[in-house]
Amino acid sequence: MTGAMTGVSDIAASVRDGRQTAVDVTSTSLDRIRAHDSSINAFTAVVAERALATAARVDDLVRMGRDPGPLAGVCFAVKNLFDVEGLTTLAGSRIDAALPPAIRDATLVARLESSGAVLVGALNMDEYAFGFSTQNSHYGPTRNPHDLSRIAGGSSGGSAAAVAAGLVPMSLGSDTNGSIRVPAALCGVFGLKPTYGRLSRAGTRLFAASFDHVGPFARSVADIAAVYDALQGPDPSDPACAGRPVEPVVPMLVQGTDGLRIALATGYFAGGGHPEVFAATEKAASALNVVLRVNLPEPALARAAAMIITASEGGELHLPDLKTQAASFDPMTRPLFLSGAVVPAAWYVRAQRFRRWYCRELEALFREVDVILAPTTPYPAFPIGQRMMEVDGRQLPAAGHLGVFTQPLSFAGLPVLAAPVAGSSALPLGIQIAAAPWREDLVLRVAAAAEAAGVLAPSPMRF
Amino acid sequence: MTDPSTPAVDLQHYIERTAAAIGLSIAPEDMPAVAGIFANLARVAGPLMEFPLPADAEPSPVFVGGGTRR
Repeated sequence: MTGAMTGVSDIAASVRDGRQTAVDVTSTSLDRIRAHDSSINAFTAVVAERALATAARVDDLVRMGRDPGPLAGVCFAVKNLFDVEGLTTLAGSRIDAALPPAIRDATLVARLESSGAVLVGALNMDEYAFGFSTQNSHYGPTRNPHDLSRIAGGSSGGSAAAVAAGLVPMSLGSDTNGSIRVPAALCGVFGLKPTYGRLSRAGTRLFAASFDHVGPFARSVADIAAVYDALQGPDPSDPACAGRPVEPVVPMLVQGTDGLRIALATGYFAGGGHPEVFAATEKAASALNVVLRVNLPEPALARAAAMIITASEGGELHLPDLKTQAASFDPMTRPLFLSGAVVPAAWYVRAQRFRRWYCRELEALFREVDVILAPTTPYPAFPIGQRMMEVDGRQLPAAGHLGVFTQPLSFAGLPVLAAPVAGSSALPLGIQIAAAPWREDLVLRVAAAAEAAGVLAPSPMRF
Repeated sequence: MTDPSTPAVDLQHYIERTAAAIGLSIAPEDMPAVAGIFANLARVAGPLMEFPLPADAEPSPVFVGGGTRR
């Protein structure tokens, strides 16, 4: 191991009270990236000069006795669909590599740095975020730090792998149908998809705007809560950002689960995957003394509608390039975008109308329960290059089926934490913890209680 | 337009005609994968189109006034 990397809260505390400098912390992170990323392929760019300059400014504030911010000296990296001043925003594509560099940072990059954090680089992803595996044909696959022959999940695969390998203690990704939660589960870290409209997407490359969310990855509940708090706040530059005030969750983590009605999703969420997934979910539910069971309303139709809206919005967004340079798309995503471009309007509008019905039904469900637990993925990480997966005797697309449990939750914009189940199997597995819109506090309170009970824990670092 | 969620419809014909209508050309070597993915969308669209939705299940956006953003 090259220089131990600790968590967000520990690093910030030690930099703030002068036990170590932000420059030393940043140098350690850069050393680890140099030593290990060639085998993981999480990073597509490292901004060492910028990082060391940012860290030096943090150290100056500490020396002057001024507040360096709650995330002082904490290194982070972002999925390469976030704008980083001076870097071209690739969004996993070769086409966008021809664009000029970004002239300013995305809102969330700027917010983290204004909180004292230090950006060290940009991270690999599926092209234009259309995928669940980060098997990117242009920039190579991101490898799972727990088994380098396997996928990291996607589309924010670099964001999850970089945290799982301890190259950075936190990162940012995006989630349209599960692209934060799937890689978090397969890499054994925490990934938070907040309520749709909670965090600003300004300065990010959109994919399917009806569902595009952004959020953080980290290795503990306290860490991801601290990062999330620093990211919150209205932003007029993102028309979907709801304009809600900052509602800090860190102070809420100690409140426990007393009085909360926690239910395990059953029916649709208890099949369509491998047995170890459901065993891990049951184990987590049992440790929290969860006895309630709930059936979500028509989750298969919710997934279908999510697929149609995603394909259609993605296909239309990229239609100009599909017309003029289709051959430059990743062969993994080109047929997805092409088929999306010809989706009939009747399907699309029906899917959006169904979304309204579904959200109303969930609103009623959340009058009966406060928090819902569900598996994150239907199986653990599979070998890179594997095309099909057997599930219940059927051969299904291995990557495409990874979203079977995440899509019905993001379809309604719910806040969901993907959390790693401690010691669930040889490869990491995760559960989803979901609540009603805007109740990230409940999600993280339950996660904190489960973590304290030893049920949730990041998979041990192998680097 | 014929509803392509109807199983009897020739999906490749629909894809080619719709692509032409929006000025999109799909390379022959891409067509099998595109048709396969579209067929899956058609498969899942079928039950969605048949699901009874109330008339007030509408997708209109919500506009919030009162200066919450600026």
